[in-house]
Amino acid sequence: MTTARVELEVPVRDALAGLLLSVADDEFVIGFWDSEWTGIAPMLEEDVATSSIAQDELGHAKALYELLAELTDDDADRIAFGRETDAYRHAALLNHARGDWAFSVARRYLYETADGVRLASLARSAHEPLALLAGKMRREETYHLLHADAWFRRLADGAPEGRDRLRDAVECLWADAQDVFAPLAGEDLLVRDGLLPEPMHELHAAWLARSRPILEPLAGDLADRRPSADGRTRRTDDFAWLHGEFTMVARSEEGATW
Amino acid sequence: MNHAQTGTGGIWEVFRQEDDGDPMVHAGNVNAPDEELAMHYAREFYGRRGESHRLWIVAREAITELDDPDLLKPPFDRSHKKPGGYIIKHKLDAAKQRAATEAGE
Repeated sequence: MTTARVELEVPVRDALAGLLLSVADDEFVIGFWDSEWTGIAPMLEEDVATSSIAQDELGHAKALYELLAELTDDDADRIAFGRETDAYRHAALLNHARGDWAFSVARRYLYETADGVRLASLARSAHEPLALLAGKMRREETYHLLHADAWFRRLADGAPEGRDRLRDAVECLWADAQDVFAPLAGEDLLVRDGLLPEPMHELHAAWLARSRPILEPLAGDLADRRPSADGRTRRTDDFAWLHGEFTMVARSEEGATW
Repeated sequence: MNHAQTGTGGIWEVFRQEDDGDPMVHAGNVNAPDEELAMHYAREFYGRRGESHRLWIVAREAITELDDPDLLKPPFDRSHKKPGGYIIKHKLDAAKQRAATEAGE
């Protein structure tokens, strides 16, 4: 938005750019992890569903990168594919390799519930293009959550092996899941100007209140953990591998137009 | 739905409506362990490109099938039961000719 760029003070604009980047990278990275199931999901129908949902997430990332590119006078493809691993700002939850099916289900459930809380807030953002986009994304994410929830309940209420694997995955991911709500640089400015209607710690509390009653019958008491300051900057070897995969084509001919 | 509880799964027939008011047309089918996932899969197979206004998802076993040729293709001429009714074109032609002949006399 040209107008937004003119109207916002530089520190506010930078903070908004950080917020957009954090949401975009979350959607981008989970989209790539889940697309790894294409061809090997439990059954053909699920293969198509998982692949389609992964594509939806990449579509959301694309829209967010474009919004960011307009704000910062950059290029969406460059932002998506042209950064080194340490410049990505996805939550630590998305640092892990896809694991087994239960692990992917657990992560999607954790992420979709957190993303749902975040999007509900962003749909009321004073930055109108973001509010409009978040509203559109919510319509699709509602369905993604239903799908993740369907699988979560199936494994949680099913045979012992699936239940054990799902519980192990939730326990493994619990600490890093908090970091979807890791504090953002300049967050106070975003909240002050209504660009982020609620601070991250409030969204975190709302997510806990909603997700604990579902998760604890499976996983037992889950530790109280606060989102960590480096929750969006910690990177892993798993992510470095994924980054190599998703930048491979873009890097093979830099600046190519297709 | 019985198998929804037992989780044995089955085939679900999917019907789609392209626009509001259009007829529901058989689109195909999906394999799913229960009604909930059948709905998700039907959406992905027959609605993810925005091509459907409405879907009906029906367990194949809930469909009553009739394919007995003795009932559906009886061995007699039943053309008089077709919506077109009796074919009277040749009778009309004959009547017109008769009328013309009578007028000429």
